Amino acid sequence: MNKLKLNYTSLSFLPILVCIPLGYQLINNIHFGGFKLFQEFLISAFNPKIDNEIIITVINRLNETILIGFLSWLISIIFGAIFGIISSNIFYKIFNIPNFFYRIIRFFLTIIRSIHEVVWGILLMQIYGINFSMGIIAICIPYIAVNSKVFAEQLETIDYKRFESINQINAPKFSSLLTIVWNPIINTFKNFGLYRLECSIRSTVILGLFGIGGIGTSIFLSFQTLNFRELWTYLWSLAILIILSGFIFKKIKFNNTNKILSIFFITVFFITILFSFSYFLYFIFNNNFENFNSLSSLFKSSSELGLFDFLKLILETIILSLLSTGIAISLPPLVIGIFNSNTSKFFIKTFAFLLRLIPTPVILLILLTFNNPSLSLAALTLGLHNAGITSKLLFTNLEGQDRRNYIAMKSLGISKKTSWLLGLFSQQAKSYLAYCAYRSDIIIRETAIVGLIGSVGLGWRLQESLSSFAWQEVTIILIAYSSIAIVGELINGKIKNSLT
Amino acid sequence: MNNTLLELKNISYKYKNNLILNKINLKINSGEKIALLGKSGSGKTTLISVLNGTIKPTQGEVKLFNKGFEELDRKQKSQITTIWQDLRLIEDLSAEQNVNCGLLAENNFYFAFKNLLNISSFKKAHKYMQLCRLHNSVYDKNIRKLSGGQKQRVAIARSLIQGSNILLADEPFNYLDPKLITTIKNLLLKNVDKNNTKKSPKTALVALHRLDLLKDFDKVIGIKDGKIFFTIKRTKLKKLHLDKIY
Repeated sequence: MNKLKLNYTSLSFLPILVCIPLGYQLINNIHFGGFKLFQEFLISAFNPKIDNEIIITVINRLNETILIGFLSWLISIIFGAIFGIISSNIFYKIFNIPNFFYRIIRFFLTIIRSIHEVVWGILLMQIYGINFSMGIIAICIPYIAVNSKVFAEQLETIDYKRFESINQINAPKFSSLLTIVWNPIINTFKNFGLYRLECSIRSTVILGLFGIGGIGTSIFLSFQTLNFRELWTYLWSLAILIILSGFIFKKIKFNNTNKILSIFFITVFFITILFSFSYFLYFIFNNNFENFNSLSSLFKSSSELGLFDFLKLILETIILSLLSTGIAISLPPLVIGIFNSNTSKFFIKTFAFLLRLIPTPVILLILLTFNNPSLSLAALTLGLHNAGITSKLLFTNLEGQDRRNYIAMKSLGISKKTSWLLGLFSQQAKSYLAYCAYRSDIIIRETAIVGLIGSVGLGWRLQESLSSFAWQEVTIILIAYSSIAIVGELINGKIKNSLT
Repeated sequence: MNNTLLELKNISYKYKNNLILNKINLKINSGEKIALLGKSGSGKTTLISVLNGTIKPTQGEVKLFNKGFEELDRKQKSQITTIWQDLRLIEDLSAEQNVNCGLLAENNFYFAFKNLLNISSFKKAHKYMQLCRLHNSVYDKNIRKLSGGQKQRVAIARSLIQGSNILLADEPFNYLDPKLITTIKNLLLKNVDKNNTKKSPKTALVALHRLDLLKDFDKVIGIKDGKIFFTIKRTKLKKLHLDKIY
């Protein structure tokens, strides 16, 4: 008997096996009490509430969302670029600084980004109260670290010989640094910056669900009052905002040789830095830090969390991440492969868009209308939301793919599905898996959000500890979260490197 | 005249257990024009990298102006300019921006900034590009869009604009047609000042493959398997010498 040999194509489908235990638990947990609500939710999608009052509310809430999203994006992209430079090896080579500092900064940024913006948000809100600026800070903290990683990775792809040639001219160190990093930074901003704005708006919506303001808060309130027609008005307006911003960004051609545009961006750059520092100083001098009284009990309060329970929560979080990743990897190619007619593609794309659009906590709350809270339900929610994102990437890559193999296979009489699998998907499988490895990093961090609502894993326990101001427990949970995310990032980094 | 500018004392360089340079001793005097001959893989590029301080030798001593590289200040170090075999241009920048990079050493950070924003003066860069027979239609073109020969001349212009005293060039005539080779050879070996007039010859060490280009050199060095086989006056070069290294 031949030995089983796995290739990238089969590896893309294999994780769907997670659906077996997941489906088993979901079927066992089904309840019919909320089916009517679910039905009402679906019908309301086609009949959103439209009147003067709600239109004004939508405009106001969208303005808040855009403002928080835009400001946090601007600050995080600029500081991300700065931290990206100082966490890239090129900086240390130019200034002859020992690699030790490079490792320290990288490790520090890894810890910062391992904690989800929602967790930062809840933490800050708990200490400083609900405040517009807390939303911006909560998004900025992990986003700066995430952006810095992307910028640093790009800077590390710079040809070492290019660095040598500039270094050999013996120019002042800052001139050499600027000359070497300028264009990679601009190009990363062009390719990645606008996508981060979309992410920033999504994060603002999710933080809104937890009370920070904007359209997210309205979505949550309308869900709480079961006003689904109103809920859909907010969701559709958010969809219009995302589609419209995507359309505008596609039209924007950022030309880095345009002098006026370059000077404008430089001005924005310095104003943002100045503003951020001013705000930081204002924050320091105008806060009496009375709220820290509760934090001072950090080392006094004893945790009620037993070791066994704690390990169980960690295990739950890891299982939740694995199950969700499995769905996010395998579901898109499976569904696209089975239903690959043009009409089906349209429906899959629409469904995927809705999965990306509706914030994960809302998806989870909807699913809770007919299923009991469980690890499987949380995994399904997170998996579906991320499948919406991975399917977008897969569609984009497949559409840009050379179709000659596919056509040749079809002309040989091979079925459409097999031709799609071997002629199209197989060529994308490797890069698709590499992206999924990156995505699973995000999934690990996102387990916090579904955990908060779905009573699963560390996320749920974190909310409990925060509500009872059990700071010692909060610290332990955050350390555990960080450790899982860092280990996950290391493993995924290795997988990604082997795939690229 | 015979004051030593660059000196290699017993230089060896090992890379992944392979001995690339083996106990090399070399003196380059002011005003000398030296041709470096040898087969591909003989160690010419590594020798140039050691001479400009890019590679630290595993063993031995490199001296510029009678000082070790660590003792030199930035101004002294910038007295060496290199034309790399693989050009090492910055692909995201235009031809004129790349040439202006040669001026980074004598200017401050603000100049580097203006150069990247494309708002610095390109007057000097254009002059050197013109000398290298680059047509003004390529000045603001991205490096990626240039042909091999055009890129080669941009790299030469970037090197010349530095106004350094010592030129190290690794096969600088690649991709050039015969007419251009003569022009560029004159440019490299007969230094050009700001007024486009010829100055005293600059010190040069040029790695070559083509023997017909040896005419303007004073000395020839033959290298094989990382060892210098001969250092003689160009006029005394014989077939016998070449047989040793090819």
